[in-house]
Amino acid sequence: MKRHMHTFLSGAKSRLLPASVPFRFFGAACVYHVLAWVALFAGADQFPHFSGGLGWPLAALHLITLGVLTMTAMGASLQLLPVATRQPVFALRAPAVIWWIYTPGVAALALGMGTGQTLLLTGGATSVVAGLAVYGALLAHNLYGARGMPNVIAHGWVALASLAVLLVTALSLAYSYGGVPILTRPLALALHVPFAAYGFMGMLVLGFSCVLVPMFALSPAIDERSVLVSCIFAAIALLGVGVAAFGIAPARLRIAALVVGSVAVVVHLRLMRHALATGLRRSLGGSFMLVRIAWGLLVASLLAALGIVLELPMAGLPTLFGMLLVAGWLLTILVGLLQRILPFLASMHAIPGSRRPPTPSTLTAPRPLAIHFYCHLAALCCLAVATMTDSPNLTRTAAVTGLAGALAFAAFFALVLWRRRHPVAMTPVRTTSVA
Amino acid sequence: MNDPRHSGDASPVRNPRRWVEHDGVHIDVRGLPPPEPMVAILALVESMRDAGPVIVHHERDPQMLYPELAELGWAATRIDGVAGEVRLRLERLE
Repeated sequence: MKRHMHTFLSGAKSRLLPASVPFRFFGAACVYHVLAWVALFAGADQFPHFSGGLGWPLAALHLITLGVLTMTAMGASLQLLPVATRQPVFALRAPAVIWWIYTPGVAALALGMGTGQTLLLTGGATSVVAGLAVYGALLAHNLYGARGMPNVIAHGWVALASLAVLLVTALSLAYSYGGVPILTRPLALALHVPFAAYGFMGMLVLGFSCVLVPMFALSPAIDERSVLVSCIFAAIALLGVGVAAFGIAPARLRIAALVVGSVAVVVHLRLMRHALATGLRRSLGGSFMLVRIAWGLLVASLLAALGIVLELPMAGLPTLFGMLLVAGWLLTILVGLLQRILPFLASMHAIPGSRRPPTPSTLTAPRPLAIHFYCHLAALCCLAVATMTDSPNLTRTAAVTGLAGALAFAAFFALVLWRRRHPVAMTPVRTTSVA
Repeated sequence: MNDPRHSGDASPVRNPRRWVEHDGVHIDVRGLPPPEPMVAILALVESMRDAGPVIVHHERDPQMLYPELAELGWAATRIDGVAGEVRLRLERLE
């Protein structure tokens, strides 16, 4: 028995970063998740007809995109990519440096956006861009030397190219408030939104899903050719949106990009559905319920985008599009996957010398997750109705509900960390049912 | 894509080579694309009626496998293998 204690995960840590690295990113994401709903409450009067410009709705948006989505993507990719691509981390201290540059930058940027203090905004933006640039360099190094996992690598390269566009446009937009724009504001905005959401975050999500979904479902490997087809279609769609931003046949190109992008999404969702249908683990709980809902909201975001391009006379459509895309698809799929990743990672990082390595099922916390599940979905519904009815009160209701969900999710994260440090002798719940 | 065993959305889990030696049941999952090595190993472990050890022949350190093994009450120990191979001995925890 004692031998097992010391040999469990023997050699497994060779490509694992210290636990403090991914968990500090996830911890910061939990904090910013809470703050995002607080910022939305503060900006509830402006949110239903929000179409850009400084204020708390913009701060709330970036607390989600930078504070939660990008923060989590960095933590997860820094930890999982070296394992998936069989590449050691290029510079072991770099992830911590990124965190220290990036995390305060997000806070300053959001505060600058909310209060309208341009010095705080530009300073925060510079810090965020610097952190993301270092992350981009690490990502590029890892992808360049990667072995295997061509589907993840292809998505990674498209995400990296999108990150480059995102960084330039982000700096331009931030510095435009200080009077020194790099690009014109309409051009920067037309590039920033699609390349940040569908390009950078979206491609990372699609790529990692091709690994994580079969892994959690215990399904056969996904067909690499289909994954690459989806990736190529998505890249072409992004290219089309990019060219359209420069005013070249904008309406036609955007419609074409939406059609091509929809093909990419359909191929991806078909692969995901097949993985779930053929996996040995059929019951994936609330986490994958959120993942499935997120996939539906991804499709809804594309339909909303089409409505905007066709100039449908629907009040609040741009706000609804942003809500479906950021809070609907990206945030929902991320919190869904994170519910499984966090206990799994905590188990991989079992404290040495513990009597028996904690299992993912003994580390998780179902009750806070159940609270988060209902609060998150209720908040999304309220937000959608609030944008369509131009209702600040409904926005406030959504913010309070979302805040309750975010606090429950933070409690789940805290419990995972606490149980990892204080493992109790529990019989693991058998979540694997292998025929 | 060069693997002719791939076709369609996903192929059924390919059968890895299995055999029995004096030190336990051996399973060779080299050459299988992720996550199929993990799926094959878990399926074998789950099907084991006695507590006999399982020897895994792998091409990489299967870091994602360990939490799933622990969930089933098994643990892994790295043992000596041939060059370029990661060999693991899996045993049921008491």
